[in-house]
Amino acid sequence: MNAYVITIATIISIYAIVVCGLNVIVGYAGQISLGHAAFFGIGAYSAALLATKAGLSFWAALPLVIVTTAFIGLLLGLPSLRVREDFLAITTIGINFIVEAIFLYIPFFGGALGIGGIPRIALFGAKLKGLGFFYLCLFFLLLVLILCWWFTRSWGGLACFALREDESAAASMGISPVRFKLLAFVVGTAIAGLGGALYAHYIRFISAGDFSFPVSVLLLSMVVLGGMGTLWGPVLGALILGALPEVFRPLVDYRYLFYMLLLLLMIRFQPGGLLGEGSMVRRMFSLALPRAKNE
Amino acid sequence: MNETLLAVKEVSKYFGGLKALDRIDFEVKSGEILGLIGPNGAGKTVCFNLISGVYGSSSGKIMFNGRRTDGTASHQVAKLGVGRTFQIVKPFASLSVLENVLVARGIARYQNFVKIWSSWKSKSERQKGLRMLERVGLADLAHRKAGLLPLGNLRRLEIARALTVGTRLILLDESFSGLRHEEITNLEALIRGIRDDGTAVLLIEHNMRVAMKLCDRLVVLDHGRKIAEGSPEAIRQDERVVEAYLGRKEAGNAA
Repeated sequence: MNAYVITIATIISIYAIVVCGLNVIVGYAGQISLGHAAFFGIGAYSAALLATKAGLSFWAALPLVIVTTAFIGLLLGLPSLRVREDFLAITTIGINFIVEAIFLYIPFFGGALGIGGIPRIALFGAKLKGLGFFYLCLFFLLLVLILCWWFTRSWGGLACFALREDESAAASMGISPVRFKLLAFVVGTAIAGLGGALYAHYIRFISAGDFSFPVSVLLLSMVVLGGMGTLWGPVLGALILGALPEVFRPLVDYRYLFYMLLLLLMIRFQPGGLLGEGSMVRRMFSLALPRAKNE
Repeated sequence: MNETLLAVKEVSKYFGGLKALDRIDFEVKSGEILGLIGPNGAGKTVCFNLISGVYGSSSGKIMFNGRRTDGTASHQVAKLGVGRTFQIVKPFASLSVLENVLVARGIARYQNFVKIWSSWKSKSERQKGLRMLERVGLADLAHRKAGLLPLGNLRRLEIARALTVGTRLILLDESFSGLRHEEITNLEALIRGIRDDGTAVLLIEHNMRVAMKLCDRLVVLDHGRKIAEGSPEAIRQDERVVEAYLGRKEAGNAA
């Protein structure tokens, strides 16, 4: 593989991690979020600060980064998750703009210049780059997928599914809506924090624009395209929307127009996403593998 | 056996200027089927929502099993052993029928931060869920998606969920509406079985024949007020009830 392909693949795998986190919030718990890039950014900025100002290694900083991001997710989720649907979408957009503004205007976060000079990740004394870094990202993606898989099998996950389907019915079965929405939000933002840390150490120079609102739209598009609430949907969505601009280089300037078109087509023809309930891919699979269902 | 399980005391509920419930008093005793009847807009469902914690009352007290529960959130009322169904069914549509019941089975774990991480896909949970589905006659459909079931089955699914949660009391909000004749007969037998197993039943019913036949006692609401209470025979002969409810209905039927 040449360096160009490896770079694209690494970015896609980092996005896939972040989108898996968003899928926990949007797909599993049914809480729309258009501000996920903010938490991706909080992860990246805290990793960058811990590396450049505190001199911590990636590995020492990682738990701190995840906890910080999840904690801020908890604080911001507490008021936001009291509103629903359209209002929640607006609130999360607001969160994204505020967080971006904080990165941009507060000198501590590097202001408009961002933060540079973030060191590479060292593993067993070797500095990871190229293919090595890509494998590290795949390793973390695998961990995240295992976590998500486990979440769907846990009682907490089941409670989130119930909330997504009907909040008052779920509450009548002992499920606290606030608590379980927050649980999904914290898990989702913690995963975004991990993605952010990997991103900061890979790009090694971050600025507020990397985590702006259009990035949130991109992340949400990846979830919707792949299939909300499915395990592999986020990976597929990240792969397609991450690779397409590269495949169709001339389209880059019209990328958002293109996303919009793609999203509209998806909503019209495959509302559950590529891997969602009753989608084309699913049907083809069930034809190819007859009666593998019902465990 | 016959001690008071649920006591609704002088409960009022206003929605802005609208008086939905006006100083309502009644009790549900353990081991009985109490019917809450009354014309449309009498406040029956509001009453259910107050008991199950969907919203708080404007004044008065609700005591369940000796504990004050008005103002307690829905999920906490459920934890006390109160299950409910909804007048407009609320299935978890994209989950299977069995998974719907398993959500209710999780009630013992949802309060515990460690237990919520354990898996719900265990064989024993599955079997217990299936047993509950057998009880309401839905075992054949266990793996069907709940959103695809017809209304009669959804009502039974809601009862299965309510029964899983409501070990002491279940609230059934018009569970008979939209059912066919033999479904009604089956459901009557099921509800009697629930009572005989020691769970009290409070039900809202529009079908007077069913309410008269099934309930041990009836409470009649009209325009947010309790106008009568007693055995089905007594209610049948109560003039105010006949006037407010049966009388009007008879006239409507004749026309």
